[in-house]
Amino acid sequence: MMRYVRLFRAFARVSLLGDMAFRGNFLIKVVVELLWLGLMVFFYDRLFDFTAAVAGWSRPQYFFFLGTYYLMESLIETFFLSNFGEFSELVRTGNLDLVLLKPVDEQFLISFRHVEWSTLPSAVFGLILMTRSILQLDVPPPAMAYVAFAVGLTCAVAMAYSFLLMLSATAVWLVRNQSLYELWWLFMSLMRYPKEIFNAPYTNAIGWFFTFIIPVLLAVNVPAASVVKLLDSQMIAYLVASAVILLFVSRRVFRRAMQSYRSASS
Amino acid sequence: MNTLSATPGILAAFRKYLRIFRVSLTERFAYRGDFFLGTFLRFLPMLTTILLWTAVFDGAKESGREELGGYRYREMIAYLLLVHISRMFSSMPGLASGIARDIRDGSLKKYLVQPLDLIGYLISYRAAHKAAYIVTSALPYAVIFGICYRFFDHWPDAITLVAYLISLLLAFVVGFAFEACVGMIGFWLLEVSSVLYIIMTLNYFVSGHMFPIDVLGEPWATFLKLLPTQYLAYFPATVFLGKTTGLDLTHGLIIEAIWAVVLLLLARVLYRTGLRRYSAYGG
Repeated sequence: MMRYVRLFRAFARVSLLGDMAFRGNFLIKVVVELLWLGLMVFFYDRLFDFTAAVAGWSRPQYFFFLGTYYLMESLIETFFLSNFGEFSELVRTGNLDLVLLKPVDEQFLISFRHVEWSTLPSAVFGLILMTRSILQLDVPPPAMAYVAFAVGLTCAVAMAYSFLLMLSATAVWLVRNQSLYELWWLFMSLMRYPKEIFNAPYTNAIGWFFTFIIPVLLAVNVPAASVVKLLDSQMIAYLVASAVILLFVSRRVFRRAMQSYRSASS
Repeated sequence: MNTLSATPGILAAFRKYLRIFRVSLTERFAYRGDFFLGTFLRFLPMLTTILLWTAVFDGAKESGREELGGYRYREMIAYLLLVHISRMFSSMPGLASGIARDIRDGSLKKYLVQPLDLIGYLISYRAAHKAAYIVTSALPYAVIFGICYRFFDHWPDAITLVAYLISLLLAFVVGFAFEACVGMIGFWLLEVSSVLYIIMTLNYFVSGHMFPIDVLGEPWATFLKLLPTQYLAYFPATVFLGKTTGLDLTHGLIIEAIWAVVLLLLARVLYRTGLRRYSAYGG
C-alpha cells in the first residue's frame, strides 16, 4: 500500500514538473478553466434575474449545487480523466503492452499515471461559490450536513471513477478512435443539473432509471442537497452502497477487458 | 499512365477530391461501434438542456414572466433543438488540432510533395465525415423532432427553407475555415493545445450553442452578433424559427457568405505565410 502512495506522489511530482516546463501553457489552461466557470456563473445569474427558483432550487441553493458540481468535476479532471483519455490510444496503438509488463497493478497505473494540475484551481472556485451560497442562506446548515456532504462527495467521485473505468474498458472491444472526453462530457450532462428537472410526466421514468439503475443523478444532487436542502440519510446510504458496488463491478469489467486485449501493430 | 493525369484540369481535380471523400467515408464506418455509442450519448445533453429550460420557464411563470431575451418557452426549446442541426454542419472536431499536429511533427510535408492542396484535401475529408454523420443521425434526429413537434409553431415556408439550407451549407464552410485558421496558429506557436482550448470553450458560449445570444442582454448580444461565430449555431437556428426575416435575412446570408470567403482566404494566406517559416521537423 505504501508503495502505491509513494508511486502516486512520484507521478504527481513528475506531472507538476512537466507542467512547469511549459509554464505559459499551464497558466493559460488555468485561466481558461476559470474564465469558463466565470461565464457560467454570469449566465446562471442572468437566469435567476428571470426566475426565482429552478426546479425548487433557489438562487443560493442552485449556486451551491453549481459549486459542488465544479468541485467534483475538478477532482475528476485533476486525478484521472486525462489518464482514461489516453487509454483508448494505448489500446489502439498496442502501447498498452508496456503498461501490462510493469510489476504494478495495471488499473492503478492506468488510472493515476498523470495528475492534471491545471484543473485543480477550479476546485477552489467551486469552494468559493459554495461558501458564498452558504452565507446567503437564511438558515445555516447543521454540522451533520457537512459530514454527509464529505461522505457523499467521496462516493460520487468514486462512482464517476468507476463509470470512467468501465467506459474506457469498452475501448478494448470497440477499438475507439473517438475521444473519451467527448463521451464523458455527454455523460456529465446528467450530473450537471438538479435531478428535480426530471419530475415531469414523460421524464419521470428516465429520472428513476438514472437514480436507481445507473445512479449518476445522485452524484452531485445528494451531497449538495444534504447541505442546502434536506439531509436524506437513506439517499446517502444508497450512494455509499452504489459507490462500493460500482467500484467492485468496474474492477471486474476492467480485468475482463484486459483478458480480451490482443495487442496491436508490431 | 494513371487516370488522374489522363484527364487534366478541373475534372481531374474534382475526381481526386471525390476519391478522398469515398476513402474517408469508408474509414468512418470502420469504427462503427464507437460511432453509434457516440451518436446515442449525444442525445442526453439535449434532453437535460430541454428539462433545465422547462424548469427555468416554470419558475419564471410563478413570478409572472414568460419571455427571456425575446424567447417564449416553446421558441426556446425549438431554438435549442435547431442549434444541434446548425452544429451538425458547422462543428469540426479535431480539425484545428490535426493541422497543428501535422505542422509540429512534420507530417505536413505530405501535402507539399504530393499534388494535393492541404485545404482542398481537408475540406473533402470533412465533407465526407459530415455526410456520414448527417446520414446516420438523420433517423434519430427525425424521431426527436417528431416527438418535439409541439415546440414548433409552424413549418417554415419554401423561401425560408431554402434560406435555411443555404445558411447551413455556409455554416459548414465558415466552421471549416474558422477551425483551419485556428489550426494555422501552429506555424507560429509550437504548443497550441491551450489556445485551441480557449477558442473552443469560448465558442460554445459565443456561438449561441448554449442559449440564444439575445438572452445575455445588451450590449453583449449586439457585440456577439458582429462575430463570425454566430453563424456556427445562432444564425441558422433563427432563420428556421422565422426570427430573422426579410432584409435582415438577406443581409445575414450575404454577411455569412462574406465571412466564409474571408475566412477561407485568411486560412490560405496563413498557410502560405506559415509555409515560409515551416522547417519540416521529423523524419
